[in-house]
Amino acid sequence: MLHSAQQDIISYTIRQLPNPTLFLNKNLEVVYASDSLIEAFDLKKRKVVGQSILDLAPNAPKQWLEVLGNCLNGVQGQKGIDRFIGSNREVFWFEYINNPWYDADENIIGILIQVTDITERVNIELEHEKTQLLLKSKSEIARIGSWEYDAINDKLHWSEMTRLIHEVPEDFEPDIAKAVEFYKEGYSRNTISLAVHKAIENGKPWIEKLQLITAKGNEVWVLAAGKPLYKNGQYIGLLGTFQDITQHSLSEQKTKESERLLRTVVDSLPLNVYIKDLESRKILVNRSEMEYLGAKNAEEVLGKTDEEFMSDTSARMSREEDLRILTHGKKFLNQETIAVSKDGTHTHFLTSKIPLRDAEDEIYGLLGISLDITELKQKEQELRELIDVTSQQNRQLLNFAHIVSHNLRSHASNFSMLLDLMDHETDPQELSRIESLLNDASENLMETLENLNEVVTINSGQPADSVKTVKLSQALSRVRSSLEGLIKDSGAQIIDAIDPGMTVQGVPAYIESILTNLLSNAIKYKHPDRQPVIRVIGSRENGKTVLSVADNGQGINLERYGEKLFGMYKTFHQHPDARGIGLYITKNQVEAMNAQIMACSEVGEGTTFKIYFSA
Amino acid sequence: MHNKDLLWIIDDDPILVYGIKKMLLSEFPEMNIETFPNGQEAIDAFHEALSGKQSLPDLLLLDLNMPIMDGWQFLEELLPLRPAKRLKIDILTSSIDPADMQRFDRIQKKIYHQLSYQNKPMTRESLVRMIAGTQ
Repeated sequence: MLHSAQQDIISYTIRQLPNPTLFLNKNLEVVYASDSLIEAFDLKKRKVVGQSILDLAPNAPKQWLEVLGNCLNGVQGQKGIDRFIGSNREVFWFEYINNPWYDADENIIGILIQVTDITERVNIELEHEKTQLLLKSKSEIARIGSWEYDAINDKLHWSEMTRLIHEVPEDFEPDIAKAVEFYKEGYSRNTISLAVHKAIENGKPWIEKLQLITAKGNEVWVLAAGKPLYKNGQYIGLLGTFQDITQHSLSEQKTKESERLLRTVVDSLPLNVYIKDLESRKILVNRSEMEYLGAKNAEEVLGKTDEEFMSDTSARMSREEDLRILTHGKKFLNQETIAVSKDGTHTHFLTSKIPLRDAEDEIYGLLGISLDITELKQKEQELRELIDVTSQQNRQLLNFAHIVSHNLRSHASNFSMLLDLMDHETDPQELSRIESLLNDASENLMETLENLNEVVTINSGQPADSVKTVKLSQALSRVRSSLEGLIKDSGAQIIDAIDPGMTVQGVPAYIESILTNLLSNAIKYKHPDRQPVIRVIGSRENGKTVLSVADNGQGINLERYGEKLFGMYKTFHQHPDARGIGLYITKNQVEAMNAQIMACSEVGEGTTFKIYFSA
Repeated sequence: MHNKDLLWIIDDDPILVYGIKKMLLSEFPEMNIETFPNGQEAIDAFHEALSGKQSLPDLLLLDLNMPIMDGWQFLEELLPLRPAKRLKIDILTSSIDPADMQRFDRIQKKIYHQLSYQNKPMTRESLVRMIAGTQ
């Protein structure tokens, strides 16, 4: 036994030990305990010295008790690990080192237990284990392998997955040169060589999608990544990952190919194709649609609504159509629509809009397909107009054919009759009479032909450039001077009541011919009791320019003759010059200029002709 | 129809009138022929005949296209007049317009007189046949 003063010193020293330390006697009772131990095991409030370890640690594992027993028999350095849950429920891990306690005579007098707090180490180990496990499963699932190159020993290490991806045999020993040679010749090999070189030279990491030929000759796609490793600023090697993305790459490539194909088809279609989201914003447009909207690239259009390109009305109508489709899911098929752009251009479309649904069958937008049928519509309109013109011309032609047939037949029958008479005639005086009648018949025929020719010329239309802006007062003054003799002889007074600036769109020659005809008629059919007074008036009625010629002549009974007034070879007056062709030609000329002529008259009072010009 | 019967020619074409007159007179030298240049003068004469100032014709040769009053208007004027003697009226025309033919059908149903339609040209034979047909 030790001296008691000496024992105090020992006890004091032991209490100061930085590592938790415990001295037990042969009966496993505490002789000394360091303060650090008392603190670590939360024993401040308890009496420790003299207590049995079995009381202090009632949950101590059996195994430990065995270890303690061994210790008393001289077995050294046995370790144990135990968990301890502290007062605040914290988990601590401790390592015990158990050694026999010898006295000066090498006799075992007890056990010396040193305890180390290894909580942190255990936690790190656990974490590491977890990470390893995670990494392994991840690497298996994602087919990601790793590799490490030790530059100092020129050793390349491949992980299991990396070896698997390369399809190399178990005993394969990789090195940098062999590794690079697995890459497909050309782009892939060049890229990896350059990347490794740059990483070593400049410390630049890499990540590249490359092709590899495996040991079994299979072509695979890998995502190869790597970076240089440094120690104390010194390059010591490379570290990287290696992922098999063949499956992914192939399907990606296929997707890309079909995407490109679809894009080409959609862009080459002579249709405007677009996709709109729920807010009617365009999220896809093809080339035709871009061109129609006057955009150079899709970015100018995408994310925008019709409001930015269309007139307000057009945009509103389009949005209403969209809403019907987006809210009710109804298709909108082959509808004729007219789109008016901001600059006022009208475009006829044959439009279809179809709702687009996602995997949950929810509508997320619409697909629009529009065929520009403007040209078709124009052609249709032109055709319709042509049919109108043709059918009117046909009517006129038929009418004209009857006139021609009638007139020519009259003359022909006269010829045959006179020739027949001539055959039977012997009297020279009668013969010369018949001859002079034949002469008349011939002249009549010629005149008729000339008249018909004139009508044909008017009706066969005139080139567009012969329609000019005609000043009515100028036309009138020219006609007046050409009729000077007639006007002077009849003593007619012609009053020009045309606004000097008034113009119409017409054929100058026709307008003068019409005025000549109407003025000479007014003079020819003057009232026997008074001098002719003719007013030529220009006025505006319902947006049309009206040229009127009003006389104070004999007048015509329009109730009786109205429908024939403008007919061919219709005369209504006992006048030797009445030939019944003037008003027929006048009407033809008026109609050739898209104008209308009307007459009103009262017998004994006078007649007024009015010509309505459309422009 | 007899040699001495009265024939009216209502036509504005002097050549045709001359020809018809000439042909008829060579066949029927005794025939009494009067001519009118339009419907108005003929209807005036008709009214005078009705009042007894002159005799009504036995046969009328009527042209359709005439100034002042054409053949159709003349027939319209004639509709309400019903003299004791029914006249024979032959329309002479060079028209082949179906509209004229339809108009002829309409007025033929309404008119009191015997109305027929004759296309020009007139030949000596057709004239003789026509005159003979009225007997």
